[in-house]
Amino acid sequence: MAYAYLFKYIIIGDTGVGKSCLLLQFTDKRFQPVHDLTIGVEFGARMITIDGKQIKLQIWDTAGQESFRSITRSYYRGAAGALLVYDITRRDTFNHLTTWLEDARQHSNSNMVIMLIGNKSDLESRREVKKEEGEAFAREHGLIFMETSAKTASNVEEAFINTAKEIYEKIQEGVFDINNEANGIKIGPQHPTTNSTLPGSQGGQQAGGGCC
Amino acid sequence: MNFFRGVMGGQAAGPQPSGAETIQKLCDRVASSTLLEDRRDAVRALKSLSKKYRMEVGTQAMDHLINILQTDRSDSEILGYALDTLYNIICNDEEEEQDESEDAVTPLPVSGKHKNVSVPDENAQKQADDMGAHFTDKFIQDPEHVTLLLTLLEEFDFHVRWPGVKLLTALLKNQGPQVQGIILVSPMGVSRLMDLLADSREVIRNDGLLLLQQLTKGNAAIQKIVAFENAFERLLDIITEEGSSDGGIVVEDCLLLLLNLLKNNSSNQNFFKEGSYIQRMKPWFEVGDDNSGWSAQKVTNLHLMLQLVRVMVSPVNSPGATASCQKSMYLCGLLQQLCTILMATGVPADILTETINTVSEVIRGSQVNQDYFASVNAPSNPPRPAIVVLLMSMVNERQPFVLRCAVLYCFQCFLYKNQKGQGEIVATLLPSTIDANSISAGQLLCGGLFSADSLSNWCAAVALAHALQDNLTQKEQLLRVQLATSMGNPPVSLLQQCTNILSQGDKIVRRGSKVQTRVGLLMLLCTWISNCPIAVTHFLHNQENVPFLTAQISENLGEDERLVQGLCALLLGICIYYNDNSLENYTKEKLKQLIEKRIGKENFVEKLVFVAKHELYSRAAQKPQPVFPSPEQMLFDHEFTKLVKELEGVITKAVHKSSEEEKKEEEVKKTLEQHDNIVTQYKELIREQDAQIQELKEKVSSMSSQNEQLQTTVTQQLSQIQQHKDQYNILKLKLGKDNQSQSNSQGDGSQVNGLQTEELTQLREEVDQLRKQHTLLQTQLGDKDALINTLSSEAAQTAEGSAGASDNTELLKELEALRSQVQSQSAEINQLKTERQELLRRAEAASSDTVPSSDSSLDAAKMAELESRLAAQTAETEKLKEETKRLSESRAGLEQQLASATSTVAILQTEKAKLQTEVQESKKEQDDLLMLLADQDQKIHSLKQRLKNLGETVEDEDDLDAKDQTDDDEEEEEEEEDED
Repeated sequence: MAYAYLFKYIIIGDTGVGKSCLLLQFTDKRFQPVHDLTIGVEFGARMITIDGKQIKLQIWDTAGQESFRSITRSYYRGAAGALLVYDITRRDTFNHLTTWLEDARQHSNSNMVIMLIGNKSDLESRREVKKEEGEAFAREHGLIFMETSAKTASNVEEAFINTAKEIYEKIQEGVFDINNEANGIKIGPQHPTTNSTLPGSQGGQQAGGGCC
Repeated sequence: MNFFRGVMGGQAAGPQPSGAETIQKLCDRVASSTLLEDRRDAVRALKSLSKKYRMEVGTQAMDHLINILQTDRSDSEILGYALDTLYNIICNDEEEEQDESEDAVTPLPVSGKHKNVSVPDENAQKQADDMGAHFTDKFIQDPEHVTLLLTLLEEFDFHVRWPGVKLLTALLKNQGPQVQGIILVSPMGVSRLMDLLADSREVIRNDGLLLLQQLTKGNAAIQKIVAFENAFERLLDIITEEGSSDGGIVVEDCLLLLLNLLKNNSSNQNFFKEGSYIQRMKPWFEVGDDNSGWSAQKVTNLHLMLQLVRVMVSPVNSPGATASCQKSMYLCGLLQQLCTILMATGVPADILTETINTVSEVIRGSQVNQDYFASVNAPSNPPRPAIVVLLMSMVNERQPFVLRCAVLYCFQCFLYKNQKGQGEIVATLLPSTIDANSISAGQLLCGGLFSADSLSNWCAAVALAHALQDNLTQKEQLLRVQLATSMGNPPVSLLQQCTNILSQGDKIVRRGSKVQTRVGLLMLLCTWISNCPIAVTHFLHNQENVPFLTAQISENLGEDERLVQGLCALLLGICIYYNDNSLENYTKEKLKQLIEKRIGKENFVEKLVFVAKHELYSRAAQKPQPVFPSPEQMLFDHEFTKLVKELEGVITKAVHKSSEEEKKEEEVKKTLEQHDNIVTQYKELIREQDAQIQELKEKVSSMSSQNEQLQTTVTQQLSQIQQHKDQYNILKLKLGKDNQSQSNSQGDGSQVNGLQTEELTQLREEVDQLRKQHTLLQTQLGDKDALINTLSSEAAQTAEGSAGASDNTELLKELEALRSQVQSQSAEINQLKTERQELLRRAEAASSDTVPSSDSSLDAAKMAELESRLAAQTAETEKLKEETKRLSESRAGLEQQLASATSTVAILQTEKAKLQTEVQESKKEQDDLLMLLADQDQKIHSLKQRLKNLGETVEDEDDLDAKDQTDDDEEEEEEEEDED
């Protein structure tokens, strides 16, 4: 379970665009066509590999409903990455992106990597927002862009992993202060740190010996 | 200042202003004074009065104080006083009073601050609580005030931050949900409070912990945000820094906060697990065997730590989450560590009890963990399995009640969904595997079952029932168990012994309650024989059992016995429901008749239903862990309540049903089976259709791909057609050159005027014809050309006039050969001539020199020879001359032939000239034809245009045609040049 880095993500966007389904597809590799409304925030996690390094992603899936907005805002500051999701079959969810982005920019740290996601790409026949429009929006606001389908799992992995790659690159460039956990980034336990006590890794070692 | 002293002193003589008046004056001063110092003094005075005159200060000064917080933000001293004052009027904890001096705010030891010191007068405390609630309401009426307080917490100054933290904690204590709601919606509210944990001043950090405890109480949203803000990491760090279980109250506070964050919050539990924090719990339990002492604080800390482990693997959590936590607890060695505590000496009983409970939940339903637990041995001599050691405590009446309950729970959890474990336990009772030398779990359970202690009876019965739960094999195996009775009596089966105790229960002297023993045994019997017809038969086989049950049920007994009656009814009901009719006397039908006759159906059902209505039943149904306030209330087992729920309905139905109804039921069953068959048929049909659909889908896809292919070929062909058309155009142009000899070409040309497509095809055919004719002509022409060539070369040769020259190589060769022959022969003739002359000379010489006759005869022979040779040669020469003559004759013939050929050449040349003129003519005609065609094309074009206008789709090829035409013209010119 050792990891080189730990990144915190948030998933934001209008209600019903498929945020929870994206998370479920990413963490459990399954799709739930009927999903309850998310209350507040739900947590999920998964390990990925970038550049040969194990990276742990901790993801907070937020409720899209307006009534939870004030709660979900609390998560912006501590996140290193955000997936901003809209539904390609509902133009209004695309139209609200500006509000979401303003909100995110206002409450997050300036280095947060934002990935714009047009979800439900499997419903091509009901498409209301062209891919080009998403691309244009992303270009205009300096975001990465992808169209995904939580149902078919198309691009879901890529969305999460590409965001992590971007963060990883920013770390390599020295943009992120990795020692400040408020940025949503943590160095893994196997890195030599000034901290002398590392009970976590100790426990892990003893676990190996404890099996009989 | 005198005035203030008077107020503060509170004992000045003379007309003394009342508290309210003084406070009013101070308030005025706070409100109106322009000097900061004056305001500060006034607030400080209010603060000193705020405890004694809490009501008055609260009522009159609160607004002013809040105002100070808003307007005097630059002065931390006045802010501190204002916050202290507000805290005093809002906080209900009286104990602060004696600690606090007025002028210097000295950091206090944190310990015990949050613990309510018991107040002697309960009434006074209630009044104080009311007051606190009232003032809190007043303060939070405007949510802005809470937000203001949150911003003040960003002030680093100790005098502001500390009272700010305390005030907010007090507000949360008094009106938790409302204040939580305000903090939740204020941006960064929770984050700011989390920052308190990072404060280098321990007092603030520790009070921050208390604040967060209040903040997270019962609010999942806040709990999640706090967790998101790295609370787990920080709290675990603090716990480690403070010495884990050996640490002080700060550790306890951290643990309480962790509990708040994790309890009933699956999202946070998942985060805790995913963050690998379970691994960090393991060192907490490395308490070792040193009996160095268990301080009260350490006991408290460990208790909370164990609770935290339990929160993660609670049976109420989702099975998946619990399973994965159990797995990582085993993998990181936490379970092993807990088992060490279990077997360690000197561990306080309550910690031991809680450890047993914790181990129970860590192994519950997890095969790997259960297997590990089965393998744990106590460090005794000889080593005994931990399970046996624990069971010994369970059936030992000297052990504390809670410990015995914990052991039972542990045993239950060990057997929960563990068929292997169930088998192992039952095996220790079977004759074949009994080991007489050591104490086994089975022995202990039997001992408990028949001991004189009702609690042991109950625990052993329930434990044994759990070894049979949902396990038909073990139910049947246990039937084999025979018990040796005293005085050489024949052995009795365990099943029978249980019923014997049940029926003779009244006669045996016991400690505890008889009901407890009987309920325990009845639960065991019910679990044992339910869903196991063989066990039912065994039970019914004893002639005394059914009469005993009917007697019990039908008797009119007191309240205590009604539960036993209900359970007897349940047992009898099971005998009916799971009866395979193998005993003639006790078939389903006969038992039912018995009930009707002896008890009465209504009565029976009433007794049966009573069980589930029992208060203790519903308590046991709530959760798996057996927790009872007193041993007497220990009557129901959780798993058994499930069984009752399951059987109550079916038994009621079974009893009410008459035989006719049963028959009907059978029929219904049959029809249901039929329905099932139909359903399966349909299912198969659906499956088939599914397959068909799949097949068809595949077909469709292959067809669509074929379609695509075909379309591509169609386009290819279209382009080919286009090419052909182009070629046609070229040919059309070529045609013009060659059709001069065709008499009907003009006719065709006139026919083309018709512009019909048929005519076009006709035209095409004719073009083909013309082409053929053209090629024919060309070959003829070629032949003629070749002929002309040969003739001309022949003519050239004849002109040269060489004798030996031949029109063919054969003749020439012959001539050559003859010539060489002639030459060689003439050379021979010459040679012979010289030879003859020499011979003649020799002859002359010989005759003159008187050569003997022999010589002359020799000479004569030679001469004869030579003369014959000469004759031959002359003949040959003659022959050659004749041949030469013949050859010159043939040459003359050839010369004649040549002459005739030259004349033919002349004829042919004239012919060729004629043909050339003809070609010229036909070219002209061709041009005319071309003109005609161009006109026709234009006409076609206009017609197509017209068609288009009329809405017909017409292939637009005009452009191409036009382009091709020009190309063709060029080509044609080139070809003409070639031909010329």
